[in-house]
Amino acid sequence: MADDNALIAHVLRRLTFGVHPDRLAQFDGWTATDAIEQLLGEAPLEPERPELGSDDDYSKLPQWWLTLMSSAEAGLHERMVWFWHSLLTSGLNKVNPALMYRQHQVLREHALGNYRTLLQTISVDAAMLYWLDGAGSTIEAPNENYAREAMELFALGRDSGAYTEADVRAGSKAFAGWWVDGDHSDEVMFDPDSALTEPVEFLGATVQTAEEAVNAIVDHPACPRYIAGKVHRYLVGVDPSDSRLDQLASLFADGGLEIRPLVEAIVRDQSFLDNRLNRPRTGLEWLIALRHLFEAEIEWYYLDGLGQVPFNPPNVAGWPGDNRWASTAADLGKAQATLDSVGDTATLDENDPLADILRRAAQFEVSDATTAVLTDAIDAVESRRDLSTLLHALVACSPEFNLA
Amino acid sequence: MPASVSRRELLKWASAGAGAAAVGGATWLVGRDGADHSGPPIAGGNDTVSSNTSPVSVAETAPPPVPAVGDLGQRLLVVVEMDGGNDGLSTLVPYGMPAYYDLRQRTAVSETDVIHWTDQVGLHSKLANIQRRGAAVFQGVGSSQPDGSHFEMQARWWSGDPLNGRSFDTGFLGRLADAIGDPSAAAVAVSVGSSAHPSLISRKVSTLAIPDARSIGYITGANDDDPLRQAFQRGFAAFADTRAKGFEDVLRAVRSQTVHFAEAIGEFDEEGDGGYPSSSLGQGLRLAAQLLHTDLGVRIVHVPMNDDFDTHDDHPGRHPTLLESLDTSLEAFFKDLEAQGLSDRVLVMTTSEFGRTAHDNASAGLDHGTASVAMLMGPVNSGLYGEHPSLTSLDDNQDLIATMGFDQYYATVAEGWFGVPAGDVLNGSPGLIDGVFS
Repeated sequence: MADDNALIAHVLRRLTFGVHPDRLAQFDGWTATDAIEQLLGEAPLEPERPELGSDDDYSKLPQWWLTLMSSAEAGLHERMVWFWHSLLTSGLNKVNPALMYRQHQVLREHALGNYRTLLQTISVDAAMLYWLDGAGSTIEAPNENYAREAMELFALGRDSGAYTEADVRAGSKAFAGWWVDGDHSDEVMFDPDSALTEPVEFLGATVQTAEEAVNAIVDHPACPRYIAGKVHRYLVGVDPSDSRLDQLASLFADGGLEIRPLVEAIVRDQSFLDNRLNRPRTGLEWLIALRHLFEAEIEWYYLDGLGQVPFNPPNVAGWPGDNRWASTAADLGKAQATLDSVGDTATLDENDPLADILRRAAQFEVSDATTAVLTDAIDAVESRRDLSTLLHALVACSPEFNLA
Repeated sequence: MPASVSRRELLKWASAGAGAAAVGGATWLVGRDGADHSGPPIAGGNDTVSSNTSPVSVAETAPPPVPAVGDLGQRLLVVVEMDGGNDGLSTLVPYGMPAYYDLRQRTAVSETDVIHWTDQVGLHSKLANIQRRGAAVFQGVGSSQPDGSHFEMQARWWSGDPLNGRSFDTGFLGRLADAIGDPSAAAVAVSVGSSAHPSLISRKVSTLAIPDARSIGYITGANDDDPLRQAFQRGFAAFADTRAKGFEDVLRAVRSQTVHFAEAIGEFDEEGDGGYPSSSLGQGLRLAAQLLHTDLGVRIVHVPMNDDFDTHDDHPGRHPTLLESLDTSLEAFFKDLEAQGLSDRVLVMTTSEFGRTAHDNASAGLDHGTASVAMLMGPVNSGLYGEHPSLTSLDDNQDLIATMGFDQYYATVAEGWFGVPAGDVLNGSPGLIDGVFS
C-alpha cells in the first residue's frame, strides 16, 4: 500500500495541476482525505485581467493561464476550469483573444456551478458563436455546426443514440438568429427576423428558442450520464463501471445538474485514491510538473511541441484521449523542453542526491528499474553541479514522472 | 499499483504514430483571401454523368505522361489527410451541371475558376500544378451509411471500415505497414504530429509519430566534449531497457521506439524551409521526403493537413486558400522527389473524413456532408474514376449519395500499389477500381 506521501502526491496531481513544492509542504503529515477536503473547500482563484495583446497575438493568454495553473494556489476550481475548456472548446485559431478571455470568465464563473446554466451561457457566448458558426446563422439556411457538436460533444454523446440527423437540423433552426456585433464591442445580438417563428420538434420536446433547445438537451436522460462519465474519466483516469455511472448520473440529475456535488462524490470515493498512475500526464500536466521540479518559469511555447496549448485546442473535440499522450512525439518534445530548461535547477543534497531529487519530483512510487538508471547516472559526472542538472533532467524524462 | 487499464490496449496505442494538430504558430489562422468566387449560374447541360470506372480523357489538355513505376518491394506511400471534411464539389467542380449552381447559391465555384477536364467537371484552378502533373481523381467516395460526426467518420477512415469506426482495433495504415514492412525496422509508418495517431496502430511493425526533425538531436548524437549530455542521453535511453508494471510499461516501450528511431535517423536537414512552403503541410511533406529517402525502412508517412477544411462559414473565402496550400506544397514535394530520384516509388493519396452538404447555408458555408473526392498522385494513370454523385437525386438528408465506398479506394491502393490483397487489410472484398496503375 502506498504511503501518505504517495497518496498526497496523487491528490495533487489529479485535483491540481501537479505537485507544487509549497503544497507538498502544506500537506506534510496530512492524510489524503484531509488534503481532498482542503482542496474541495478552497475558494476559486480570482486572477486579474491579463494583458491580451493584439487580436492576432496568440501568446499572451496561454502564457497567462499556464503561469496561473502552475501557481501553488491553483486548486480544484482551476482544474475544473480546464476541464470545461477541454470539453466546451473554443480556440484562438478562430476567435480573438478578447473573446476567448470573455468565454474564459464564463467557465471560471460556472466551473463548479450549474451545468444547465453553463451550457445556456456558453451557447450564446460570442467566442462560441464564432467557433461553431452560430454567429450569423439564419432560419433561411441554418448553420448546423453548433447544434450537432453541442449534442455530440458537449452534452449527450453520439453513442447515446439520443439524437438523430433530424434533431441536428431542428436544433440548428432553434439556434438561428444570433449574431455578434463586431462594430460595437462584440456584443451578442439576437435578430427575431432570422429566427424561428414557430416551434419545432427537437429531442422529443417542442422548442423555438436557443434557451428551450438547451433545456431540451440537458433534460435528456443521456446528458447527466454523459457529463458524469466525462468528469469521472477526467478525475479518476478511467471510465466508471455501468453501475457507478448510473449512481453518479442519478446524483447529478437529482441535484439539478449542480457540478460541485458530482465532483465531491467522485473524489470522495475510494476509487479516486485507488486509481493512481494509470494514465500518462498530458502535455500541459507534464510541463507544469516540469516547472515545479525545475522551479523555473518555462515558457508556454513548449506546449506547442507537446501538443496542448491552452486556448487553442486542435479541434472542437478538444485534446486527444489519455493514451495518445504516450508517444514518440511526446518523448521528443519532453527531451527538448527538459534540456532547454534544466540549466538553473537547484543543487541537490550532497549526501543523498537520489532521495533529494525524488522528493523534489514528488516521486514516491519509483520502480527499481528507474532507481537503477538514476544510480548509474550519479557515477557518470564529476561535479556536484553537473550531477544536480543530470538528475533533474533524467527524472523529468523518467517513466514515472510521465504518469498522472 | 492499481492498474485498471489493459496493458495490451495501452501497448496497442503506444505503437501508433502521431497526428492531431501540431498547433504551429504560423498556421493558426486560416487565411481568408476574401475573393468572391460566386459566379452566375450557368444554363444548359445536365447533371448526369456516364457511369464508368475507366479514365475519362482530359478534354482540353493532353494527359500528362505516366511516370515510371518502381519495384513493388520499394514502393512508398504518403497520405495527406485533409482534416475537417473537404468539399468535393469545390475540388472537382461540376461546373457543367446546372443543379450545382442551384444548390450552391452562395458558395459555388465560378466556371472561370475551373480547369475544364470534361464538359461536366474540372479541378479548381487553385490545383493547377496537380492538374499539370496529373492525378487519378476518385468521384463520389464515401460510405453507403454516412454519419454526420467528424469523429465517427474519422474513426472509420482511420480504421478502414466505411460502416463502423470500431470494427478494427488497428488502423488501415497500420495493417498496411504490417503487410509490407520489416518488423526489425525502427519505423515502417510515421505520422507527422505531436501525438499518437489511430490510423497507424499496427500489430507487428513499429509505427510512430514525430512532430519535426529538430527534436531528434536532443536525444542522440551528443559529442564526447559534452559528457553531461552524453550521460543524459544514456539515461534517457536506459529507461527503455527494463520493464515495470502498469502504464509504466507503455512509456518504457515507447521510449524504446523513440531511441531506436532517433539513433537510426541521425541528423535531418532542418535549416530554412528546404524549398517547401513554411506551412505545417509544406514542412510535413519535407520531413516525409527525408524519411522516405533514408534506408530506415519507413514505407508510409501520414501527413495531417491541420488547416481547417471544416468550412461551415465563408467557404468561398477559405477553401481556395486550402487548395492552394495543398497544391503548392505537393508541387515542392514532387520536385524534391525528382531531385532525389524517388518519383517512381512514391504514391501520394489524399483522405478526408467526409464532404460537405450539397446545399450551402446562410453563412456562405457548408455543413457536414457525405461523399467527396479523393486523389492519387505520382505513378498513376491520370483520369477520373467512378461516377460523379448525382446532384438532383439526393439522400433523405438532402446530401450526396456516395458512388464508391472509401474501402474501394483503399483496396485500390493496397492491392494496386503495394500488391497486398485487399481482403488482408479490409473487411469483405471491396472491389478495386480498375485502370489506376499501369
